[in-house]
Amino acid sequence: MRPFLAMVKANLKMTVRNRQALFWNLAFPAIFILIFGAVFSNDNGVTFKVGITGVDSPYRAAVIQTLEANSSFDVHIGDQDKELKALKDNDRDYVLVFAQPAAGQSVAPVQISYDETQGPNAQVGINVLSQVLMGVAGGENAAPITTHPIETLNITYIDFFIPGILAMSIMNAGVIGLSTAFVTYREKGILRRIKVTPFSLTSFILARIVTTLLIAVLQAVVLISLGYFIYGFTMRGNVFLVLITIIIGALAFLAIGFALSGIARNAETAASYANLVTFPMLFLSGTFFPVDSLPTWLQGLTRLLPLRYLIDALREPMMRGHGIASTWTDLVVLLVVFAVAMAVAVRFFKWDARPA
Amino acid sequence: MVSSFQSPIIDIHGLVKRYGTFTAVDGIDLSVEYDEIFGILGPNGAGKTTTLEMIEGLRVPDEGSIAVDGMDAVRESNRVRPIIGVQLQTTALFEYLSSAELIELFAGLYESDASSAKVERLLGMVDLHEKAKSQVNTLSGGQRQRLSIALALVNDPKVVFLDEPTTGLDPGARRELWQMIRDIRADGTTVVLTTHYMEEAEVLCDRVAVMDRGRVIACDTPAALIASLGIEATVRARITGGSMDPAELRSLPAVLAASIDDDRIALQTRDVQSTLIGLLRLVEARGVTLAEMTSQQSTLEDVFLSLTGRTYDDTADEPAKEPEPAAAGGRRRRR
Repeated sequence: MRPFLAMVKANLKMTVRNRQALFWNLAFPAIFILIFGAVFSNDNGVTFKVGITGVDSPYRAAVIQTLEANSSFDVHIGDQDKELKALKDNDRDYVLVFAQPAAGQSVAPVQISYDETQGPNAQVGINVLSQVLMGVAGGENAAPITTHPIETLNITYIDFFIPGILAMSIMNAGVIGLSTAFVTYREKGILRRIKVTPFSLTSFILARIVTTLLIAVLQAVVLISLGYFIYGFTMRGNVFLVLITIIIGALAFLAIGFALSGIARNAETAASYANLVTFPMLFLSGTFFPVDSLPTWLQGLTRLLPLRYLIDALREPMMRGHGIASTWTDLVVLLVVFAVAMAVAVRFFKWDARPA
Repeated sequence: MVSSFQSPIIDIHGLVKRYGTFTAVDGIDLSVEYDEIFGILGPNGAGKTTTLEMIEGLRVPDEGSIAVDGMDAVRESNRVRPIIGVQLQTTALFEYLSSAELIELFAGLYESDASSAKVERLLGMVDLHEKAKSQVNTLSGGQRQRLSIALALVNDPKVVFLDEPTTGLDPGARRELWQMIRDIRADGTTVVLTTHYMEEAEVLCDRVAVMDRGRVIACDTPAALIASLGIEATVRARITGGSMDPAELRSLPAVLAASIDDDRIALQTRDVQSTLIGLLRLVEARGVTLAEMTSQQSTLEDVFLSLTGRTYDDTADEPAKEPEPAAAGGRRRRR
């Protein structure tokens, strides 16, 4: 155990002293949080712009009254064509089209039209609006009242952004960090040097993995604290689940980095492979904006990107307060990525730049 | 020092290593005694590093056996590693750690004493105590070389392997390193080093194996190797005011071989004094003048010449055949 701990300790020292790594792992995401947080901090909670149209009735009037009483809703009443056009033009998030109440009924059927580019917020809004509708109809409607806590409403951009940026940092630390580290160790003959000591290469690799996991947890603490203290980020879910998710995500991405180090010939090619892998994921996995806002054909493609699963698995608990029931499939995908990438890594691992 | 009945610390028989069709090490036998400084001398591509790496367990031999301190270095390399110290040709050091931290780390990897006293002692041994807190990236080439020797000693090994420890050092630094290597041996550690510097092998090593093209062509003390030539020295001079005949020169006392190249003569002799007396009589009789006369003691260089028919300097121009090679990307690792 002592050799292992000595190696982990040395790894941590080296990582903390490596300014370039420190920048990409901590400063870069922190700058993102500061800039994006500042840009979107006026947006104090999500405001839903709701258009009301269709046949007027006491029910409709009661719904309007309820919505107007809530500052989260910006209510517009108008003619159906005009309201639906406003929705298309992004001037409305939702349009409620009221039909004529059936004879003897006061509650009317309502169609909720929504803007699908709103992404994850759209479903949240639909839920909330349905709840308002059922609430107003409450006396006469037998529909069960769902138990969505109303806090869900106050999802701020920073709540959306922090899990994304955390996932990005974990990806970069894993893919870029490990691919360049192992290629450099190989090129500089450090792996050869370790091989002539009693400390096995397997232990050496495990020590590096443990170090990367510790760094991932450190990143999470720093980035979440930054979001919390500066922009009032709210952590809604189970911290333990978030920690497990961070570790599983870090494993998946460090395995990808490790695999790239075996495939790459030298440090330069390793760095370009790492960029090739991370760059599309950074923009297509929903780090900065919801995946739903991408064109439909692209949305399907994002299902191939491991980062998307990590972001989803982090947002569900962090932003929405959901449990493992809504993220276990994401976690399974990440574990499969880990297993496959690790198999590739072991297959292509070279401890020496020369033939044995 | 070496008791006659003690078995050698390293005993190699029939060692062969091939890379594809190229035979890097071609059936060598070697034995290294306890507490000696043993040199493996040869030009680039002679197979020195490959031999060393097979003993260290970095490469698997195709044929032959290697025993280190009585253990089979091929099959029991896990048992051999704790008792050997290794300095590789590339000074493979982690960046962002200080000299002292690196020594602590390696002491940890060997589960040996990592106390500050030990770290100080090792740094002192390689004259780096002032650099204890300096990060590795700030050290000069010579300092890094010395640090990697300190790391090779961190487990108090029975035998330490130094692969071209002085390559790339200036003459002053090289001499300092020789003294350090002598100190290491004085502390009871056997030293095996490779070098392509004849002079280094001659003044530093107790015994030298001369390697060429994968074979050991001679192995003995430097003095015995030189004595085996039977040539004490080479006398060289320039002649002016007349010419001389090679046959006359060859007939001078104690001369083994003579050559004339333009106005320059070279005489290989087994007795400098009698040759000189004869030569001076001859030039007086001929009325020619001798200029720029030198007499150079024979060196390992002459040994190499007589064994291979090639001068040692020529071999430096030969392409390095030792597979530094073609592996990933075909990049050569030499500095």
